[in-house]
Amino acid sequence: MVFLSPALVLIALSLVFTSGSTRIELAIWDQDLTALSRRFVATLGNDGDFSIKHVAGRDEIERSLKGRHVDAAVVIPSGFADTAQSGETASVQVVLDGVDTLVAGEAIGSLLGHAGDFGIQLSKEYRVPPPPVQVKSNSAYLPKTADQDSMVSGLIPIVFSLPVIAAALALARERERGTLEALVATPVRGLEYLGGKLVAYVTASLAGLLPVWLTASLLFGVPFRGNPILFVVLTASFLLASVGLAIVIGNLVQSQQAATVISLFIFFVPAFFLSGLTDPIDTTEVASTVISYLMPSTHFVAISRALLLKGASLIQLWRPSLMLLGLSVGWMAVAILTFKKRVTG
Amino acid sequence: MKDDLQRIWGLAIKEFLQLGRDKLLLAFLILGPLLELLLMGGMAGGGVHNLPLAVVDQERSRASREFVAKLDRTDELRITAYAESVTEARNWMQSGEVAAIAVIPPGYSTALTDPQRSASVQVIADGSNNVISTVALAAAEDVASQISRDISGPSSTGKQGPVTLRFMARFNAALEDQPHAITAMLGMIVFQVALVVAAQSFARERELGTLEQLRVTPLKRLDLMLGKAIPTLVIGLVDFLMMMVLIIVWFDIPLRGSLLLLCLLTIPFVIAQIGWGTLISLVSRTQQQAMLLVFALAMLEVAFSGFLVPAGDMPGVMRVISYVSSVQHYLVVLRGVMLRGAGLRLLWMPGLSLAGIAFFTMALAWVRLRAGLDTDAFQIDVAGAWRRVQRWWCDERPPLCPKRGRRRKAEHRRGWSRETA
Repeated sequence: MVFLSPALVLIALSLVFTSGSTRIELAIWDQDLTALSRRFVATLGNDGDFSIKHVAGRDEIERSLKGRHVDAAVVIPSGFADTAQSGETASVQVVLDGVDTLVAGEAIGSLLGHAGDFGIQLSKEYRVPPPPVQVKSNSAYLPKTADQDSMVSGLIPIVFSLPVIAAALALARERERGTLEALVATPVRGLEYLGGKLVAYVTASLAGLLPVWLTASLLFGVPFRGNPILFVVLTASFLLASVGLAIVIGNLVQSQQAATVISLFIFFVPAFFLSGLTDPIDTTEVASTVISYLMPSTHFVAISRALLLKGASLIQLWRPSLMLLGLSVGWMAVAILTFKKRVTG
Repeated sequence: MKDDLQRIWGLAIKEFLQLGRDKLLLAFLILGPLLELLLMGGMAGGGVHNLPLAVVDQERSRASREFVAKLDRTDELRITAYAESVTEARNWMQSGEVAAIAVIPPGYSTALTDPQRSASVQVIADGSNNVISTVALAAAEDVASQISRDISGPSSTGKQGPVTLRFMARFNAALEDQPHAITAMLGMIVFQVALVVAAQSFARERELGTLEQLRVTPLKRLDLMLGKAIPTLVIGLVDFLMMMVLIIVWFDIPLRGSLLLLCLLTIPFVIAQIGWGTLISLVSRTQQQAMLLVFALAMLEVAFSGFLVPAGDMPGVMRVISYVSSVQHYLVVLRGVMLRGAGLRLLWMPGLSLAGIAFFTMALAWVRLRAGLDTDAFQIDVAGAWRRVQRWWCDERPPLCPKRGRRRKAEHRRGWSRETA
């Protein structure tokens, strides 16, 4: 289970992200109803960015937005065609659902792009002046399947929290069942015991890297542009740091239930919100920066993306790598300290 | 009936006492959610600011410098470096030092002043993080349209091109990330607490050997299930209410709809997790196994919740699975009531789905519990039922029974071997 679970979870998670593109649901209130306004609507609908639904009236727009039936509404005013053809600027109102900022941002970008293209086409046809500046934008490294590659490579650190949490529970179990006392009575010394647990879980998880790797590259076609040996070494360092943190948790708790709850609080929700997987880490706030830098997954998300997608070298990655190394040493030290206290105290 | 209630109550009290004995666990169950929300909510509120930007200014004119200065003045972008060439800037992007590159080509200012031409600026964004690239490109677009407006001035509207868009965001005029992120966290924290507490219940008793003791008490199976569910429901709702207070008071996020409606719809959400948790804890042999199942389920729910990637057009099977994800429906309800001020009339669909999922998971758990408390009880039950179906089929329609001949032979052989042995 420790060996295969990361790969299985990665498959399941990534399937969700790779299954089809997201379309923005757009409501259109065409008050103009001319050939040109219909052409504008057709431009919006033709490349599959938007799925279009026609509405009439403010109330209907408001209701559709409130019930989350659409993400944005476009209001084409009457007189749209006349204004645009006369060399003046026709202004189209877009009402966005501001709640999901990511979708709203995508809608803004995509609408601006479509409207810009439409405007340039019109300015050629009707010999009216084009806008003075436009932005030609592109995303580096990832031509089309950007979201998928970026998500899959970013998720690799998260799927490895499964075997790591298992380590925390393994320690708590010995405590709960009282077998730790029995172990103390044997000639096995504290550090040997800890080392044994650590080696077992780190190796088992590291072995799980192979199925994860195969899944990512064969099933999802994630490119591997970096040095594979470097990736394995850095993954091992990440696992050492994470298992070290897990052992600290295992040392502090009385029961497996507590170990599970605390691990979920430390590994699960923050892994999604704090690691820079979706939002980049905001370095302006000291507390947040310190905490997210203490989490091994933060650095490994950056490393995994840089290595897999950009093919960065160790020199370019010296900062996150050094942090990860420091964290593995640091968390191991804390693990040993808390373990000594627990056995003697 | 009264006896039943008394028994359920007794078991619930026992569960509460057990939770109360583990001080660290109790602290984490009650204060953990608040602390985590406080910590992460503050961070997520930041949104995307100050993305490092490299500038390749191939023109070096007053107009190009003005464009660059405007980019720097945006909230999202901050210029950290000037590169001589695009190659150099791309190198920086590879090491993660810059998130976006703006390239201003030679001839920018002449195209800008020529009314018949359009000047173009290239913006390259780091696509390995899709959030960064979206934000950076939108900010640059914004600057470009701002300059277009400045140049044309209010009098000659024609210079803005034939069509412009005016944007207006409802429910969140400044397009802040915080309300969206914090509601997602609230849903996920309630989800994980309820699921974990429920999932360890039977697995823990089994591992510690106390399940045998429960068996010899007069508790019926329904009593057992409800008695175990009540403490989880209470913890889930208490956590929900405390976090709601924190969100409204501390984070200053408006509650536009009815709190009562939100509470009513939180109940089926928590019950759905109790159903999953009970099911997991009945099939797991150890707590470690239960934990792994919890984690796998939690990851799937997060994936389907539409937080990381908006879950839009999914083909066939995935769409069906996504309807069973309670977090997804709950987030629609939560945001609908809190941020959009929607009532039950607009939210009946997700509300009904939540109730349906709660019923479905509890029914699954009940079916599993009826089979017995052993981990393999269900397999034995299913195998038995399958044999009964097979026998019935063969007895009713002998000519249609495909395995009839083989069955006879096998029975014959068994009978023969028993006789001789």
